[in-house]
Amino acid sequence: MTIQMFEKPLGMRDDFPFIAKKKAELRAKGTSIMQGSGYDLLQTPTLEYYETIGKISAIPDNALFKLLDSQGETLVLRPDMTSPIARVAASKLLKEKMPVRLGYYSNVFRAQKREGGRPAEFEQMGVELIGDDSLYADAEVIILASTILKELNVESGRVVIGHTQLLQLILKDFGLDNSQIDIVRSALVSKNSVRFEQLATELLDDASKAAAFKGLVTTSSLEDWKPYIDASNEEQAALYGEMLKLQTIIQRNGLSEAITYDLSFTSHMTYYTGLVFEFYGAGSGFPLGNGGRYDGLMKQFGLHVGATGFGLRVDRLLEVIAPDREAEPHILILFSEETEELAHEQAQELRTNGSRVTLQYAPAVKALEEFSALFSEVRRLEGATNG
Amino acid sequence: MDELTIAMPKGRIFEEAYELLVKAGYDLPKELDDSRKLIVEAPNERFRFILAKPMDVPVYVEHGVADIGIAGKDVMLELDRSVHELLDLGISRCYIATAGLPNTEMNPVTPRIATKYPKIASRFYRGKGEQVEIIELNGSIELAPMIGLADRIVDIVSTGKTLKENGLVEYEQIVDITSRLIANPVSYRLKQQRIRELVENLRKQAKA
Repeated sequence: MTIQMFEKPLGMRDDFPFIAKKKAELRAKGTSIMQGSGYDLLQTPTLEYYETIGKISAIPDNALFKLLDSQGETLVLRPDMTSPIARVAASKLLKEKMPVRLGYYSNVFRAQKREGGRPAEFEQMGVELIGDDSLYADAEVIILASTILKELNVESGRVVIGHTQLLQLILKDFGLDNSQIDIVRSALVSKNSVRFEQLATELLDDASKAAAFKGLVTTSSLEDWKPYIDASNEEQAALYGEMLKLQTIIQRNGLSEAITYDLSFTSHMTYYTGLVFEFYGAGSGFPLGNGGRYDGLMKQFGLHVGATGFGLRVDRLLEVIAPDREAEPHILILFSEETEELAHEQAQELRTNGSRVTLQYAPAVKALEEFSALFSEVRRLEGATNG
Repeated sequence: MDELTIAMPKGRIFEEAYELLVKAGYDLPKELDDSRKLIVEAPNERFRFILAKPMDVPVYVEHGVADIGIAGKDVMLELDRSVHELLDLGISRCYIATAGLPNTEMNPVTPRIATKYPKIASRFYRGKGEQVEIIELNGSIELAPMIGLADRIVDIVSTGKTLKENGLVEYEQIVDITSRLIANPVSYRLKQQRIRELVENLRKQAKA
């Protein structure tokens, strides 16, 4: 294949000025909310080792961009931010300062096989709260993410919350063994209700049990979860109790309208060990972001601490946020050789007062009318038109 | 009431799906498929239908330009898109099978398989521990063994009439196929009530 001069590698995008501007706003808003909640921002390297981050990140191998360094080590372009931050948190530097609150706004890379609408490089912003295994930490990150979505004016923002550990315990209560649970979980991960219902009949001989099992996929409130909880089982009762507390905190923050508690909601990421959640908004056909409790990931870095966090996809946020129709005031000053000094003085003054000013030597512009149309105001300084 | 955009496959599945919706009590315009229109409104139900090629339905739904869709399981298996598979509608029943000329063996060195479903075919043969070469065709798959392009085909069989007429026999059944109601993951959450209602209404008819 001959590559044409205008082409970019598969899945790569240019950010044209209006998108770059929107992104900058998004970044400023998002990161200032994170910082306001006590999170420190950090930046990790673009390249990481395949052996560590590449494998731990739980991104499919064929979605990783791999390359070799001069020592022959395999490197990856970072495919996510959670595992690099876990690596940092496990380092000596931060170990003693637990719990740590870290936030980021970074690009990540995932090779794409399919068609458009799936960038291979995109930005994510999010936080990780490491070293706190209480439900208060989970509540904090869910509320923080919801606050960001609200501040960005995302329409009909919604959070779906599930609990992988509780789901596991409940499936066990139905009398399923581990390999059966895996089959059920994979039907849930692939969002295949038809398969899930088939499994209910295949795996459970009791008809009323099968009916209850099928009902798992339609749970949408903690009230719906209740019949599945075995109150005499301490672990289940405790976890359910925590969910109720979480709900109270969320309600107090005025977010209860936007939350669905779906007991069957789970993730393909096996490192999630507790709460899992996903964010949606009107305007994008894809989730805006997700998160959860990932104590399992920290263990891989040799750290036995709780961790929870979320990541939001900036490319999808851009789809759901209404673009500003109103053009920002932007003044053009056209000058000639004679008026150059005067033009600079004027521009300086306008800029000091906060205006956006472009200075342009008039004779250098070929199509003056078209060029001037790009600005909200045009000032032609004496002599500029004769050039 | 939220408006629902529904991607419907043109052709065979459409008729049955349309009938099912009407039986479930939905008030749909009569000339839905007659016209050459690609988008048809059903204002009484706040439905908007997109009439699409069957293979494209999961694509529309995954990208969220359609909230829900009706797609054959064959298409779902082949495309493997990230959508909710909500209900087996039990319509357009058929199966995917391998077929070829009678009493023939596959070429032991380079067994060749012609199909419209390269993923399903290669998954099937890999599962059997056989390495085959897949030749992707877009239609008239039955031609391939007749003119020596392939040893076997992997294709949809509903009555077996087409195979018979072309002198082919079925060798192995791979998977049973029916049409499914599918939903975009975001729509499924944001328009949950309407979509669940639709599922329940259709479930009653699908069983009957």
